[in-house]
Amino acid sequence: MRDVSFDLPESAVIGLIGPNGSGKSTLLNIIAGLEKPTSGIVKLDGKRIDNLRANRVVRYGLVKTHQIPKPFSNMTARENVAVAVLYGRRNIHSPRPALEEAHSILALVGMESKRDVAADRLTVQEKKKVELARAIATGASILLLDEVFAGLSPGELKASIQLFRKLHDELRFSVLVVEHVMRAVLTLSQKVMVLEEGRIIATGSPDEVVHDEKVIQAYLGSKNPAA
Amino acid sequence: MNLRKPGLTLYGLFIVMALLAAAALLLGVAVSSILVFLLIYAALAYSINFITGMIGYVDFGHVLFMAIGSYALATLVSYFGANPLIGVGAGAMLGLVFALGIGLVILRFRGVYFAIATVVLVLAAYNIVLQLPQLGEGGEIIFNLTFQPLAPYFTIWTIVLIEIALTYYVNRSRIGFGIRAIKSEEDAASSVGVNPQRLKLIGYMLGGLFAGAAGGVYAWSTSGVTAGPAFDFTVSLLMLAMIIIGGVGTSIGPLLGAVVVYIPSYFLLTSVAQAQPLLIGLLVIIMALFLPDGIVGLLRRSNKRLRLALE
Repeated sequence: MRDVSFDLPESAVIGLIGPNGSGKSTLLNIIAGLEKPTSGIVKLDGKRIDNLRANRVVRYGLVKTHQIPKPFSNMTARENVAVAVLYGRRNIHSPRPALEEAHSILALVGMESKRDVAADRLTVQEKKKVELARAIATGASILLLDEVFAGLSPGELKASIQLFRKLHDELRFSVLVVEHVMRAVLTLSQKVMVLEEGRIIATGSPDEVVHDEKVIQAYLGSKNPAA
Repeated sequence: MNLRKPGLTLYGLFIVMALLAAAALLLGVAVSSILVFLLIYAALAYSINFITGMIGYVDFGHVLFMAIGSYALATLVSYFGANPLIGVGAGAMLGLVFALGIGLVILRFRGVYFAIATVVLVLAAYNIVLQLPQLGEGGEIIFNLTFQPLAPYFTIWTIVLIEIALTYYVNRSRIGFGIRAIKSEEDAASSVGVNPQRLKLIGYMLGGLFAGAAGGVYAWSTSGVTAGPAFDFTVSLLMLAMIIIGGVGTSIGPLLGAVVVYIPSYFLLTSVAQAQPLLIGLLVIIMALFLPDGIVGLLRRSNKRLRLALE
């Protein structure tokens, strides 16, 4: 990562795209406290969070989902979400109200009917929803979403985009979306940043970015513009 | 976890404990001297359950805390003439303190690295004891107490009772949710706000505390401590076998496991003592292959009502 600097305003949706190995996941990990930056700072509401561990960062209202969903397989979907309710920043400290709250959050992401299913029996798509529900359940105001739209069928993708819109309208969280699925990033983001080899090579509206020469080169290679 | 129907498991366990108390009071010395070791086994099984059963960190060196408790009691009683109860308390406290110090370092390792570290610790501790004249230089510390079998019996009975209540409480509380999350996916747990280091340390310290107390009562019941057996690796394995056979992480599993491991071994001791580790080893392999949730898991699957009631 070199010279990467950006702001994430309240309730904004920013897309982060770039070829494989360009540093998208590293950037998310640094912000979420999973990796330490060698230099540079991350601030949230004016407070530095780059020296905090991941579980402390959650208390400040920032949470990251995993690229490959990591459900707690020894629990039901509802218990998965209840963990996030209990340990996030919601000030709900006893299991019973936490499970009730988890129930309504699962309803929000359309997983109400699967609430008592063991997490390891869910489909990948459902696991991703649990992952998202868990992130929301912490009470986060900033979500870092790592490829939540990857690996979906066109129908599922459409449904997921609608679900994301609905959640964003209701909860007004800020989002940094890392995504390979262009359709999702370009429809959802107000602003898109393009990373290549650890640098931001372009920033702008989705429309500006896809027509940027440097971006086209980074994705397709300069010698092969027709592809 | 079914939070709405509290108690069936707990009531069942309390009834068993009441029967154990009654047996000792009514039938006297002969019974209590047999059952005291069952309760010591159970106390050890519950103690390792806090770290290995609930959190999933396999502790091959748990006998270390038992040894610490045994030496604490033996030293206090034989050199200072202390009341054995004070020895048990000191054993528990020392177990807790050592678990804190050791845990701060080795709980940073995961999986097999943690397991290896626990093995190394026991070897190190054993070799330290061999060098210390105050601890018998690898020999034994023996003391003579007036024969009163009911005192250690009810001490260990109380310890097991506290462990059962605590296990049950932890499993249903906020901490229990965090602990189960760590057991499944430590990184994912921390990314929703769980502090794995803190919860693992709590589990390990509870393990040290209760194994230390049980070790104290063990030395009390056997009127001494000997370096070799006190650091015996197979005792750690027995503790692991008990929770695997009973059902890891549960409130009822450690007691079930202690009964299954101890009762046959008591009878086998008179005929084929060497067969005991073989039989337990076979049982553990069978359980691991076919019943990974132990007896509790088997009972849960056999009956829907049991599935909800057993914790």
